[in-house]
Amino acid sequence: MGIPSNTNRALAREDLIHDKPALDREVLRDVIDLALWAGQLLLQHGAETERVEETVHRLGTMLGAAWMDILVSPNAVVITTISGEEFRTKVRRVVNLGVNLNIVAEVNDLSYQVEMGKLDRLGVRRELTRIGVMPPLYNRWLVVFMVGLACAAFSRLFGGDWMVFAVTFAASAVAMFVRQELVRAFFNPLMVVIVTAFVAGVLASTATLFDLTPQTALASSVLLLVPGVHLINSVEDMIKGHMVTGVVRGVTGALISLCIALGMLLAMQLMGIPGL
Amino acid sequence: MNLADLISVVLQDGLWSGIAALGFAMLFNAPRRTLIACALIGAAGHALRAFLMEFGIQIEAATLVGATLVGFASVWHARRLQVPSPIFAICGAIPMVPGTFAYRAMIGFIQVTTSDITTAPPLLADAGINFVKTALILSAIAVGIAAPTLLFRRRKPVV
Repeated sequence: MGIPSNTNRALAREDLIHDKPALDREVLRDVIDLALWAGQLLLQHGAETERVEETVHRLGTMLGAAWMDILVSPNAVVITTISGEEFRTKVRRVVNLGVNLNIVAEVNDLSYQVEMGKLDRLGVRRELTRIGVMPPLYNRWLVVFMVGLACAAFSRLFGGDWMVFAVTFAASAVAMFVRQELVRAFFNPLMVVIVTAFVAGVLASTATLFDLTPQTALASSVLLLVPGVHLINSVEDMIKGHMVTGVVRGVTGALISLCIALGMLLAMQLMGIPGL
Repeated sequence: MNLADLISVVLQDGLWSGIAALGFAMLFNAPRRTLIACALIGAAGHALRAFLMEFGIQIEAATLVGATLVGFASVWHARRLQVPSPIFAICGAIPMVPGTFAYRAMIGFIQVTTSDITTAPPLLADAGINFVKTALILSAIAVGIAAPTLLFRRRKPVV
């Protein structure tokens, strides 16, 4: 999407394989390494499967391989690259680190530059190294503030008044801070969700102190945890025929929602709030 | 409802969902130059959904229309700013994601543990309704934001 489609892909595979000069094994090793690296960065930071496949294919063929066969699994990428009579295969493990759209944009830009002939293999390696260590774009306190504001905006959408807005803002901003701290300490991601939802729930329940009904504040203050990207990507993958990644992302999203519910229920029990 | 009320409802909806989209765009570390477009797309999609729901259209159908707007607006902005369109599509669709339905379904299922044979059925039915709503709204979002690809980028499979 957004990028002119690579017309070469419309050709038959055999034509392509015999069209390009054959690479030797050393070069082919470099090509597969770089393509896998790019694929890993994309999959790790929230790109959908179709985009991972397309970008890896474009990158590999533009760096000189005749063809790339790509298997994207939820936690690994496998590529076989073909050139002349030669082929090589490599697996790369992918861990889940959360959404980072800046990295997706940078890798996309990189593959575009390779397509324009502005980057060679050396340049791609340099760029990928740079992309891998990029610091976050926004100050963590700014993120805390904006996420609090976003959840408070949701409370307005659900019909809350300005007091509910204030309580939701405080609850979700503190919850976001707690989440950042827990993620930095490498706690299990699902545990992070339960604890964060609990903190948000307890703080949102203090709405009762201001004689407000806490339900709206409760419902909106945990929205910072909703696995929106997992769930959207899940359905999008399945629509485009990538069933395995689609199902796994869906189950991940459902598990995260379950953990949100657990954390909220704990908070509601503690604070004596009847159901939502 | 008269016209002035309708406009005010839709504009307020757009304002708050735009702020929500912006907040999540920053949480997802979206590039700086995309932030304004993310907020605008999020506002437009959710406001269109709210507008349609004012006329009694079901939330699922309204979401499909709103998400289709998000999808096409994302492709347009992606061409303009030379970034991948999912950045806009994901941030723009976030305000429509059925988060409350999703965890309400889960809360319903968990509460079955404290019920008995007579009180379980309404809890299960409630959880089921929320679950189906979540699934349908999510599908509507995904089909909507994939609409430009599904409609205009068809190719014969090569592999």
